[in-house]
Amino acid sequence: MPVTANHHLELAERLVDFGRKNGADQVEVTIGENTEFSVDVREGQIEKLLEADTCGLSIKVIVDQRTATASSSDLSQQTLHTLMQNTIKQATYAHQDTFAGLPDDHGETDSAEDLKIYDPQIPEMETRAKIALAKEAEKIALSDKRVTKSHGSGVTTIHGATTLVNSKGFSGSYKRTLIASGVYLQAGSGDHLFDEGWSDSTGTLADLWKPEQIAEKAVHRVTRLIGATKIKSQNVPVVFEPRMTAGLLGFLLSCVSGGNIYMKNSFLSDHLGKKIAGSNVTVVDNGRIPGAPGTRPFDREGVSTRETVIIDHGELKNYLMDTYSARKLGSRSTGNASGANNLYLQAGNTDPENVIKSVKNGLLLTGTIGFGMVPSTGDISRGAFGIWIENGELAFPVAEITISGNLGHMLRNVEIIGNDLTFRRSITGPTIKISEITVGGK
Amino acid sequence: MTSKPNKDPDIADTDPYHLFDMHFKITDRNITKILSEALSTGGDFAELFFEYRMAGSMLMEEDILKESSQHISMGIGVRVLKNDQTGYAYTNEPVQKKIIQAARTAAAIACGNGSVRTAGFERKLPVYQNYDMHLPLHRQSFDTKYHLLQSAYVSARDLDTRIENVQATLADEIRSVTIANSEGLFISDLRPQVRMAVRVTAREKDRRNTGLSTGGGRIGLKYFRDDTTPETIGKKAAQEAITLLSAVDPPAGEWPVVLGCEHSGVMIHEAVGHPLEADTNRKKTSIMWDKLGKQVAGSAVTIYDDPTLPHLRGSLNIDDEGTIPEKCILIEKGKLVGFLQDRLSAKLMNLPPNGHGRRGSYQDIPIPRMANTILAKGEADPEDIIRSVKNGFYAKSFQGGQVQNSGKFTFSVNLGYLIENGKLTKPVKNATLIGTNVQILNEVEMIGNDIGFFLGTCGKDGQSAPVTAGTPTMKIRKMTVGGR
Repeated sequence: MPVTANHHLELAERLVDFGRKNGADQVEVTIGENTEFSVDVREGQIEKLLEADTCGLSIKVIVDQRTATASSSDLSQQTLHTLMQNTIKQATYAHQDTFAGLPDDHGETDSAEDLKIYDPQIPEMETRAKIALAKEAEKIALSDKRVTKSHGSGVTTIHGATTLVNSKGFSGSYKRTLIASGVYLQAGSGDHLFDEGWSDSTGTLADLWKPEQIAEKAVHRVTRLIGATKIKSQNVPVVFEPRMTAGLLGFLLSCVSGGNIYMKNSFLSDHLGKKIAGSNVTVVDNGRIPGAPGTRPFDREGVSTRETVIIDHGELKNYLMDTYSARKLGSRSTGNASGANNLYLQAGNTDPENVIKSVKNGLLLTGTIGFGMVPSTGDISRGAFGIWIENGELAFPVAEITISGNLGHMLRNVEIIGNDLTFRRSITGPTIKISEITVGGK
Repeated sequence: MTSKPNKDPDIADTDPYHLFDMHFKITDRNITKILSEALSTGGDFAELFFEYRMAGSMLMEEDILKESSQHISMGIGVRVLKNDQTGYAYTNEPVQKKIIQAARTAAAIACGNGSVRTAGFERKLPVYQNYDMHLPLHRQSFDTKYHLLQSAYVSARDLDTRIENVQATLADEIRSVTIANSEGLFISDLRPQVRMAVRVTAREKDRRNTGLSTGGGRIGLKYFRDDTTPETIGKKAAQEAITLLSAVDPPAGEWPVVLGCEHSGVMIHEAVGHPLEADTNRKKTSIMWDKLGKQVAGSAVTIYDDPTLPHLRGSLNIDDEGTIPEKCILIEKGKLVGFLQDRLSAKLMNLPPNGHGRRGSYQDIPIPRMANTILAKGEADPEDIIRSVKNGFYAKSFQGGQVQNSGKFTFSVNLGYLIENGKLTKPVKNATLIGTNVQILNEVEMIGNDIGFFLGTCGKDGQSAPVTAGTPTMKIRKMTVGGR
């Protein structure tokens, strides 16, 4: 059983005091505890059952504007005291950095309860029920004869607590829950196989997709690829399914992250206030959307989360910053020390079907593999697969192709934005159509 | 084999049991008791995995040592196997009560009665020492490590006035793993791992490009003196960033492709290594599962995985199930002859294990993984390989790659060159190569007499593992290049 957050508040407070008494100017202590359960089912049988309780503590100290950090999953007092003393000593080796230090202002922290990120039903869920969920989704998926194999069906639950105390007087903790369920399948024959699946995750049990929905989505995603062929290289309009839009936003995130901005590792450095996208494009990060997967009361530095408009009708308004990068950029933390909270592209009005109908000859992008995204240039080049669109209709599947382009160029050429935005992943977006992208093939 | 801990005074704390004894105060008798608990419901096999890891890292950017950190992680994983089913539980509290509780949880995978008689344990040691334990980084002073980092940083920064910024990191760790199982095995290993990485951004007018270079392995200080100096790593990253400033976009379409020897191991890793991991073959989801004994590549192609190569990033004395690893030939003269095995897959496939069961940490179950995957050298002069291409693409450095079970892979080329009339001409940035392994293996036309190693971190099932992939320069008859 995990120890209570109260106990951790005390442990963190004592360690902060210990650090201050041992020569640190500023100390921050974070304690995370998690209880995880997961079951993997394959071909109707349990393949793996996992259960674990873990706890980890991390320390940041600043001595004379010099920073050092440490972490330990060994929470014995002796280890923690030695680690604190070593970290303080280690900080003195670093160079003085006038931008170093804990946040000056943590913002207003309201009750974590309003954020709806903890559902007591999840920790109470019975093991049998979770196994049944996993088996059910797989069974339904495999009942479709076009599906040849299951890579497995899984259900994972996590409940945990985060506690943060620092020497500037911040002290806070919150609990959160997560349940995820997904199935991953194979279809095709001979050497022409296709792997696809679907998983859903949420913080509230009642909100989880039913096994039928997950199976149906996974089956649809894998079977529609059967018989995929290569196509000739050409420049065409490309429709991004919501998860593909999210992939693009994930890349945008690294291009607007304070760290990459002050290091000038991003093509969007020095672009604040400039028009970088079409006026239909608005991108927001909001850490306070009740029940959303990236919602949290405060970030890794104890700074309260908030709503930050990154791109407002095409204009670059804000970078996402932690305390350090904000100081480097002469600004204030946006509560993004933990990365994106809920980062999304604002929905448009068009039904996704009508987005596809608008394409005479082009690609519906359904999946990508590989890396190939460079923040310093905005260049994108990835392996891709999807469905070819002819005269507004889905015509035939395509695979072993590449898409390549530049994020800046894509943002300026978002032709249509769909109305299908949901908050089931922390980075999310609706269906979009980009007027022209290079698709590489034969 | 049994032997006494190494007492060589020049080699500090290399007794693999040292950290285990210090942090997990557990007697052999108690280990027997926990294993019995784990098998009390009728499991076939039970195993305890103890891990203690100490890691340090430092970051230099904007001309200062910005941050340094140290990490300690400790935990115990308990695994119970029943046929092809796995029960797993872990805890990071090294107290008897918690471990027994984890054993009971893992035992829930089986639902019968069982009793086990585990014989007394005898502490074993690995047979070979495949790591450089002389002057290990984790025993060096902060100053010594900082100077290594600083010289990489400075050599990158000072290469050219167009260098805009440099980030250099040095990470080192020492990881103690100890395995005890219900067959009476008790073995421990102490593994160093070092990685230096330098990332450089160069700027000319509005254009910015990034170059990256890394070095390291299971090495000591000597590596940075005699093998790959920090200066070499820094300069290489800086040179790549500068070259990319004049790079053009890649030509989209199918081209003859020459894979340079430095980084192309990533292709062998993705295209051949992953599909030959035993788990997806016993589950028949890998495209290779029914091809054992069949010709899958040209007869010039021999590919193996060898964890016993000394001091490489993927080298191992034992795998994470305590098996002494062996060089495992996967493809011999074009014929598929082997899979990378862990215990479970080997047993279910009725094949011998070959020491490729690895785990990301005590939080993970072992799965078949690569270690050092190598495509054997051929006879061609690398220059002749380039000369043989009229129009094509040369891939020099890679960011990484990915493969699906179906054998479809992609990899991202950070820096490439156009080949025109048998010569490397314009540099090319940000290209993607895509294909399927079956096709690519049959399209290898020439293999060079050189070899280079790619140092990577491989992700599979949410677990990461340090790996090496080595290849000579080689020519692929035709591959899809993504670009504009």
